[in-house]
Amino acid sequence: MQSPTQASLLKVDDITMAFGGIVAVDKLSLTVKAGEILALMGPNGAGKTTTFHVIAGVHMPNSGTITFDGQDITRLRPDGRCRAGIGRTFQITQPFAELTVVENVMVGALPHHRTMAEARAEARRYVDMVGLGGRADVLAKGLSTGQRKRLEMARAMATRPKLLLLDEVTGGVDMKSLPGIIELVKKLRDEGLTLIIIEHNMKAITELADRAIFMNRGVRMAEGTPAEIASHPEVIELYLGEGDAHA
Amino acid sequence: MFQPLKSWQWLLIATAIVVMALVPLVTRNSYLLHVFILTMIFGIFASAWNLVTGFAGLKTFGHHAFFGIGAYASALISINAGLSPWLTVWIAALVATVFGLFIGLPILRINSMPHVAIVTLGFAEIVRIVISNLQSITRGELGLWGIPAFEGFNLPWIGEVNFTPADKLPYYYLILVLLIASVAVIALIMRSRTGLAMIAMRDAEEAAESLGVNLTRQKLLVFGVSAFLVGVAGAFYAHYISILTPTAAVGIDLMILVIAMALVGGLSTLSGPLVGALILTGAVELMRDLDDYRLLVYGAMVILIVMFLPKGLVTLAPMLTRRFASHSSS
Repeated sequence: MQSPTQASLLKVDDITMAFGGIVAVDKLSLTVKAGEILALMGPNGAGKTTTFHVIAGVHMPNSGTITFDGQDITRLRPDGRCRAGIGRTFQITQPFAELTVVENVMVGALPHHRTMAEARAEARRYVDMVGLGGRADVLAKGLSTGQRKRLEMARAMATRPKLLLLDEVTGGVDMKSLPGIIELVKKLRDEGLTLIIIEHNMKAITELADRAIFMNRGVRMAEGTPAEIASHPEVIELYLGEGDAHA
Repeated sequence: MFQPLKSWQWLLIATAIVVMALVPLVTRNSYLLHVFILTMIFGIFASAWNLVTGFAGLKTFGHHAFFGIGAYASALISINAGLSPWLTVWIAALVATVFGLFIGLPILRINSMPHVAIVTLGFAEIVRIVISNLQSITRGELGLWGIPAFEGFNLPWIGEVNFTPADKLPYYYLILVLLIASVAVIALIMRSRTGLAMIAMRDAEEAAESLGVNLTRQKLLVFGVSAFLVGVAGAFYAHYISILTPTAAVGIDLMILVIAMALVGGLSTLSGPLVGALILTGAVELMRDLDDYRLLVYGAMVILIVMFLPKGLVTLAPMLTRRFASHSSS
């Protein structure tokens, strides 16, 4: 699907992230090409969210480098990485509870605007885009889980990222809202965004991802199309347990 | 908070200012004016503390240090260097700002709020002990006296304005101007992009940072501005009271009173600390006859308000209106 000439937007090179004696991510390397959707898969504790945190700047890696858009960003703090063009959502949503939905999004939009009114107008567009138009002036603490996930996306979009990290945007979302969220992520890709998603939902992964990386215990175990990953013997073994691998 | 003010809000603000400006026309009672002056000093103090704790979410309990630093710096500079209090008030506020930035730095790296509380409290205690023990300069608990008053000046139409202990009027108007300016500064900050980023930081720090908010800059800014305003209030206090002791100007009692004011009036609101300052300063004075029993009444009042109006007295009116509206419609 991707042409080989396309440059890599993000290059994670030999990253190790340890907390005390626990190595959460072990010598991980990955590249993401502009315009693609990469899925990170793996059981709980595989190091997916830690990988996100290292890319977003929350954790400084013990070793390794991160290059984004030709710039070494390994030592940048999260706000610096945001300005460089990396947006993210949180697995456990973090709304600004006492701000309205549109004000939540304005926080991300402000650096791109000279006045509050301009930022509000643009924030309003992102709120509409994620389908929260009817709740724009409600305090964020009044939102449901699904709405909070959408708010996370609108906020991150307002920072005008080149790369967006989505951490389990379908987690905790009921089956009825799932297709809507998947459509929304597709829309983001169609706007020219590059995405890395952490997902457990196989339907979401097969519909969205161009490529998937399967992690376990901090290392990369397999890489390929979602279908290839799903039929990978080691992956099946991990998810279904020994003996069922050929079932 | 980030929408333009409605006309009734402008009207309310204008009415409050006019009423405060007209008080001396109704009464020239020196004691009453004194209570109002104290209320306004505390109004600045509580509003500035609310900026850091209520709006930015940094739970600090050491703001009385800035009050004391402002008071002593202005007093000492005007006594020893012979500079006019009109000038030393601002120098003192800048000194308090420098200390505010100094204590803001370690707080940047502390994520646990109880630790922030202890660090700031400890810092204020250090300031108090240093002032107590530098007796050759501050005279310690014996009290620093001989602090010059503000120089008088001539105003067209009104004539000579003199700052003397006998006449509280000039002090009343001076602190009223300082209070309005302080609250205006805080309101302007909170309604700007900085205020939006600050509330985002308070509600979800990690998320704010991921959206490009520079936490270091925000925290230093809020500490600097807050320390400056508290420093101004302290400096004014020094030249108004004209005698300073470490217990009165840097005592923990001051901080407790200010926290109570913000809680009673309403934390994280612009008007809450002002309402709280008015009620608590007034209550302390009204209950003087009760001696130590007033502490009992005082404690009960704080507990009742925190229990039944956890967001402060300023939420009382909207709450009653809503009740009333729902009753009459049903």
